[in-house]
Amino acid sequence: MSRTLTFHIFRYNPQDPASQPHLQDFSLEETANMTLFIALNRLREEQDPGLMFDFCCRAGICGSCGMVVNGRPRLACQTKTKDLPHEITLLPLPVFKLIGDLCVDTGSWFREMYTRTESWIHTNTPFDPTKEEARMDNAVAEAIYEMERCIECGCCIAACSTARMRPDFLGAAGLARIARFALDPRDERTDRDYFELIGNDFGVFGCMGLLACEDVCPKNLPLQNQLGFLRRKMGITAIKQLFRKD
Amino acid sequence: MSTSFVLVDRPEVRRLSRSRADALWDLIQVLSGLGLALFLAFHTLLTASVLLGARVLDAVAGGLEAIHLDTLAHWSVPVLFLVHFVAAARKVPFRWREQQALWAQARTLRHADTWAWVFQAVSGMAVLLLGVIHMWTTIGAGAIQAASSAARVQSDGWVILYLLLAPLGQGHAVVGVYRAGVKWGVFQDVHRAQVVRVGLFVLGGGVLLSLAALVRYATL
Ligand code: HEM
Ligand code: SF4
Ligand code: SF4
Ligand code: FES
Repeated sequence: MSRTLTFHIFRYNPQDPASQPHLQDFSLEETANMTLFIALNRLREEQDPGLMFDFCCRAGICGSCGMVVNGRPRLACQTKTKDLPHEITLLPLPVFKLIGDLCVDTGSWFREMYTRTESWIHTNTPFDPTKEEARMDNAVAEAIYEMERCIECGCCIAACSTARMRPDFLGAAGLARIARFALDPRDERTDRDYFELIGNDFGVFGCMGLLACEDVCPKNLPLQNQLGFLRRKMGITAIKQLFRKD
Repeated sequence: MSTSFVLVDRPEVRRLSRSRADALWDLIQVLSGLGLALFLAFHTLLTASVLLGARVLDAVAGGLEAIHLDTLAHWSVPVLFLVHFVAAARKVPFRWREQQALWAQARTLRHADTWAWVFQAVSGMAVLLLGVIHMWTTIGAGAIQAASSAARVQSDGWVILYLLLAPLGQGHAVVGVYRAGVKWGVFQDVHRAQVVRVGLFVLGGGVLLSLAALVRYATL
């Protein structure tokens, strides 16, 4: 039953002027229930203590272990080796800044995205700490929660051809962020406000509908439906503005 | 580092998208594409009516000419074609760096929809060239008749143009309608697999129909 796995792992340390990007081969005996998290840790412990990769929760919650596994962006901690062929190629996620080997900096990208999408509830209603919280319809709360489940792993961005061709494209995670606030009745932004943030080719109209984001998102966010929802909303807003002078 | 920190601090430039141009181009692209797809569906059925006999085709074409649909098509289709090309070309990766990124992405990702888009861009350019030649040789060449069409298909080498144009045009149109549907949220995620099946069925039917019609023209 036990297989010998061959890993082809991207190695490059941008800090080290002598380092050249290359694929390095490693062999490892597969064990029962092995995930890429387990495999990479064993490689680091037993074969190369310098191997760089990110992990934190190892349970698909923190979003730090995104990498390109045999061509597809995935969470390493949620990928079982038994579902892969015995040759496994691991690359860092494209688009994001490379820290070294399989580590990328998704944090700065997401920080920038949150700023661009103004990712907070915009309201002029004064906060009254003595009052009970306003009630929200359960279906709305659930729809918002669907979008809140994003773990910022960056897989949807790395899988998106548009994001790879246009570095300033907001990407599915960014657009999903807007969809989350557009669904939220507490956010007082109007469609025109959202249009000013995403009504262009860097936002929703740059998306070419390739649905790689939908197909790789490890948390199965309803990205396809939300991107469609936003495009309709923003398309209608553009038409409405045509007939309005200001 | 980030422009957006600067932008947030400056309310006067913070708003990024005052312009509606991108949105309007996107609408123009989808509407012109759907218009062309609708036309192509009619065009395929019209040309395939030759399978029922040359006289059927002549009668159908005569009927359409009687209500001047041919005139409508003769000026609206080239206009739609040009408009659609200009709108869609905004998304075609003409820059070498973009192409490298797209090819690298398509090859490593092994993802059907990403390949479908590569096909969309390549077939679009091919249809642009072949379609212009086709329209050039047909529009203004007189009434649509089985005999004259057959003569065109049979003159040296021209059959190659039709053998390329029919499947590429139909492929582009079917993939385009699918993409338009998912982009605008008409097709939702739960229906995607079904829509793909229906699309492939329509495409297969359309290609078979036009190839059969071509054989008929070539032997008429
Ligand atoms: C037979 C003629 C044609 C038909 C029926 C047709 C149909 C369509 C349709 C329905 C779409 C989807 C619209 C959308 O995604 O918004 C589309 C997209 C596209 N078309 Fe065409 N088209 C035709 C000719 C052309 C030509 C001549 C080009 C030349 C470049 C072209 C390039 C494209 C491209 C690149 C896209 C994808 C754009 C994107 O995904 O954002 N098409 N087409
Ligand atoms: S649908 Fe495609 S183009 Fe749009 S965000 Fe997702 S992967 Fe990118
Ligand atoms: S939307 Fe999905 S793929 Fe994208 S960052 Fe969030 S969890 Fe990851
Ligand atoms: S380690 Fe946290 S998501 Fe994989």
